[in-house]
Amino acid sequence: MKIDIKHVAKLSRLRIEDDKLEKFEKDMESIVNMVDKLPDVEGTLDLNPKDTMTLREDKAVTDKFKREELLKNAPEVQAGCLVVPKTVE
Amino acid sequence: MKDYEIVVGLEVHAELNTDSKIFCDCKNAFGLEVNTQVCPICMGMPGTLPTLNEKVVEYAIKMGHALNCTINTLCRQDRKNYFYPDLPKAYQISQADIPLCENGSLEFMVDGKMKTVGITRIHIEEDAGKLLHDESFAGSLVDLNRCGVPLIEIVSEPDIRSSSEAKAYLETIKSILQYIGISDCKMQEGSIRCDVNVSVMEKGSSKFGTRSEMKNVNSFSAAVRGIEYEAKRQIELLEKGEKVVQETRRWDDSKGMSFPMRSKEDAQDYRYFPEPDLLTISVDEKMVKELKESLPELPNAKIKRYVNDFGLSQIDATLIAEDMEKSLLFDKCNLLNICKPKNISNWILSDISKYINETGKLISETNLTSEKLCALVEKIEKGVISNSAGKTVFDEIMKNGGEVENIIESKGLAQNSDTDFIENLVKEVFENNEKSINDYKNGKTNALGYLVGQCMKASKGKANPGIVKDIVTKMLEK
Amino acid sequence: MRLYEKTASELSEMLKNKECSAVELCNDVLARINETENTIGAYVTVAEDSAKENAQKIDKLIASGESLHPLAGIPIGIKDNISTKGIRTTCSSKMLENYVPPFDAAVINKINDAGMTVLGKMNMDEFAMGSSTETSYMHLTRNPHNTECVPGGSSGGSAAAIASGEAILTLGSDTGGSIRQPAALCGVVGMKPTYGSVSRYGLVAFASSLDQIGPLGKSVKDVAMLQSLICGHDRYDATSKNIEYPDYAAALKENAKGLKIGIPKEYFGEGIDSQVKESVMNAVKELESQGAVIKEISLPSTEYAINTYYIIASAEASSNLARFDGVKYGYRTAEYDGLVDMYEKTRSEGFGDEVKRRIMLGTFVLSSGYFDAYYKKAKRVQNKISQEFSEAFKECDIIATPTVPASAFKIGENIGDPIKMYYNDVCTVTVNIAGLPAISLPCGKDSLGMPMGLQLIGDKFNEQAILNTAYTYEKICGGFDVLSKAL
Repeated sequence: MKIDIKHVAKLSRLRIEDDKLEKFEKDMESIVNMVDKLPDVEGTLDLNPKDTMTLREDKAVTDKFKREELLKNAPEVQAGCLVVPKTVE
Repeated sequence: MKDYEIVVGLEVHAELNTDSKIFCDCKNAFGLEVNTQVCPICMGMPGTLPTLNEKVVEYAIKMGHALNCTINTLCRQDRKNYFYPDLPKAYQISQADIPLCENGSLEFMVDGKMKTVGITRIHIEEDAGKLLHDESFAGSLVDLNRCGVPLIEIVSEPDIRSSSEAKAYLETIKSILQYIGISDCKMQEGSIRCDVNVSVMEKGSSKFGTRSEMKNVNSFSAAVRGIEYEAKRQIELLEKGEKVVQETRRWDDSKGMSFPMRSKEDAQDYRYFPEPDLLTISVDEKMVKELKESLPELPNAKIKRYVNDFGLSQIDATLIAEDMEKSLLFDKCNLLNICKPKNISNWILSDISKYINETGKLISETNLTSEKLCALVEKIEKGVISNSAGKTVFDEIMKNGGEVENIIESKGLAQNSDTDFIENLVKEVFENNEKSINDYKNGKTNALGYLVGQCMKASKGKANPGIVKDIVTKMLEK
Repeated sequence: MRLYEKTASELSEMLKNKECSAVELCNDVLARINETENTIGAYVTVAEDSAKENAQKIDKLIASGESLHPLAGIPIGIKDNISTKGIRTTCSSKMLENYVPPFDAAVINKINDAGMTVLGKMNMDEFAMGSSTETSYMHLTRNPHNTECVPGGSSGGSAAAIASGEAILTLGSDTGGSIRQPAALCGVVGMKPTYGSVSRYGLVAFASSLDQIGPLGKSVKDVAMLQSLICGHDRYDATSKNIEYPDYAAALKENAKGLKIGIPKEYFGEGIDSQVKESVMNAVKELESQGAVIKEISLPSTEYAINTYYIIASAEASSNLARFDGVKYGYRTAEYDGLVDMYEKTRSEGFGDEVKRRIMLGTFVLSSGYFDAYYKKAKRVQNKISQEFSEAFKECDIIATPTVPASAFKIGENIGDPIKMYYNDVCTVTVNIAGLPAISLPCGKDSLGMPMGLQLIGDKFNEQAILNTAYTYEKICGGFDVLSKAL
């Protein structure tokens, strides 16, 4: 199968350099050809009533973490906020 | 120009007023210092996992019941993948093909007629953070406090046919959310937001036109403006022989226009798939039943009761029932069974509504209680005070509090209905106004008003004007 | 004999009997790290100071007569995808090279509460994607039995540290064989527990529905001791199972008599090295001679396991790794023009090629128009594989297979061929797909002197059965000779 590698990369927010494009394309195509060999087995994907979870009690806990502790790994911080390139024109 | 019909579907997002967030135990609170209501989980730090808040499920089921939905006792959450700085995990945990509630309906009044809109589904999901922009700064700032605030999304069928129907639908949804107590419904805080799907079709057609989805609609009046603008835009396109494109548009309320948000080739692909960090949500049938039984009387039932039992007009009944505080006051007053429901309704819809609008307070935050309102209305009904004195008493209660009886007394507002006293008063006035009496007798009937006025003046406004008028008329006829 | 050469259970006794101190033990292992780390490269970060501090603390507690957890003072290495508060957690990626978590993983809380000495963080394939530890951004890790060979992966550092004596115990994570495969290639014991038995809270997710943290060590008892410590329900992990968990180490006993061992023919096919087949069957025969009953069974969907695995794991990974966007933590590109450019450059520069390949595969299989053909289909095959195992466990108590098709390959040998690399997982992925427990044990060396692995697979939450059989086999062998003589 032919894969639109540039489109997939765009969706993944990745950019593949031109010199690597061919290799990625080839690898991806052979991987997809590999996974393509899946049979269509019978069966449904219904939710399993045995595979359920316990829900959390609605109880807030405050002051667990300090802001600076949570932001210390951030590449850019200003006024207690994370900084990103402008999102509006 | 051909005759067109507007087709609207609404997606309402309402923030739930739980104590903690949907997937972590951070406080669910509005308006606090940036990035202080966050933890590694809602910040999407590597290795963190979500745990689902049970109240979110309960609240959504309550809304499901209120909108006559089927509750899916087995459902799951799915990931909606997209990149944006306000979404720390780069996916929103939402629900895709198996929502918690589906196939419901909502009935409401619009222009004096009942309208039914189908509810496609109600699902639970997490809110995103906020981006802050400042002219003076080259970047945008990210505040993650709102990340993980629980939301329900209520999706309607495309059953709405006008902007006024849309408005009535939204207002009914809002009042239901308030009645069942699951959302603060503060529009200015963004606790209810909606996406609007609009298309137009030729009248009588059964085939819907191509729709556009409008985002960023932050108030009900904006929804009305947005729908009208968008319908007009689409009709103009069709009239020119052009086609409506299926797209997402952003509503700019200040400009009163919508703009395309994404170009077609850049179409979003959310790549939904089941959230592997959460297992199946299983809701106990017994709990579903209990939640249904726990629902309070909802606005529609109230409107019917107000019209049938209390003789209110449809409009007045709707105005009171839609506002939970007003209906609470109205219901309490009627339980006291002291005065006429119609008179209470008039007070609620005039002076009380005016006060609430002007001050922005809740009724519960004022000095007014059902007992005081009933005491006040009773005094007017019995003629103890006049209507205008009643307004003085009301103003005083709102301003300084106090009991109706005491205020009437200290301000000397009681009117005098003693016929002997009034007869004497009228006699005195007649002695000094022979000309007017003659005028009246000569057919100038407006002299009656003048004489009544003179009597009221002489009583310093305390005489019961109805009795004064009766006696003046009687004495003139002699 | 140096302290680092001993097992955790031996050292636990020695500490209890004051035959050595926690500081002596810690220092000896740190010394061993100094001796061999330049050759092996098992660690990303050695936390020498905090390790010594803990050892001192434990010695004080021992001196004061405090009753301690049996693993108190035992040095442990942690795979670098497990969140450690204050110690950087890199996932061996440029993306997280300088990321220092503000919180501990659930398993780290347990390890700290038990008083274990955390030595540092173990090298791995980047974000656990790989079978050789060659995709690590940090450095290579070498197989202690032959330093020209890979240690396996992705928990290569965790396995190599056990085989070289650079740690007494380690934690790894296993999504498709990432504990068992390197354990087999390094000749150590490693177990992948049942999905849901060990909290994933704090494990940087690769494929959430398949990932599981597990122990590696020199002996079955060591692995059982560590598993007893780390298992259990955790309310911060919704997929964690709330049941009673036994003390596996205390309950260890030989169980060959009457044990029904299933041998699935699909795991002994043409892709498997004949020496591996032979050594696995020899091990099984040893168990048979002790009273076990051998049953040939069939798990027909095995041939689809690799495909199923790569679809499900990559799909989840593409979503799990989307959060690395240069906003909240981790790498951000130096220069960019706008948001999308920042995202694309950050992610392209921060991730290695293998990670990019899997993110793109995952994005592709989830994308509009392909979801049903890949993801849904794979989920149905997953159910089928699980059902086949369930059926099999009606006939037998445990299933024995090779862990890896062949012994360790040379560094660089497979790196250019992703598919060849993926087939290293052929014997291990089914276990993750079905959520089962499995353990890998050394079962001899091949003609090149490299270790081979025996895999024992158990039914869900029946770790005890495979541990008991492993223990029986270990007894038959007279103990495993885990430490490399080549160093």
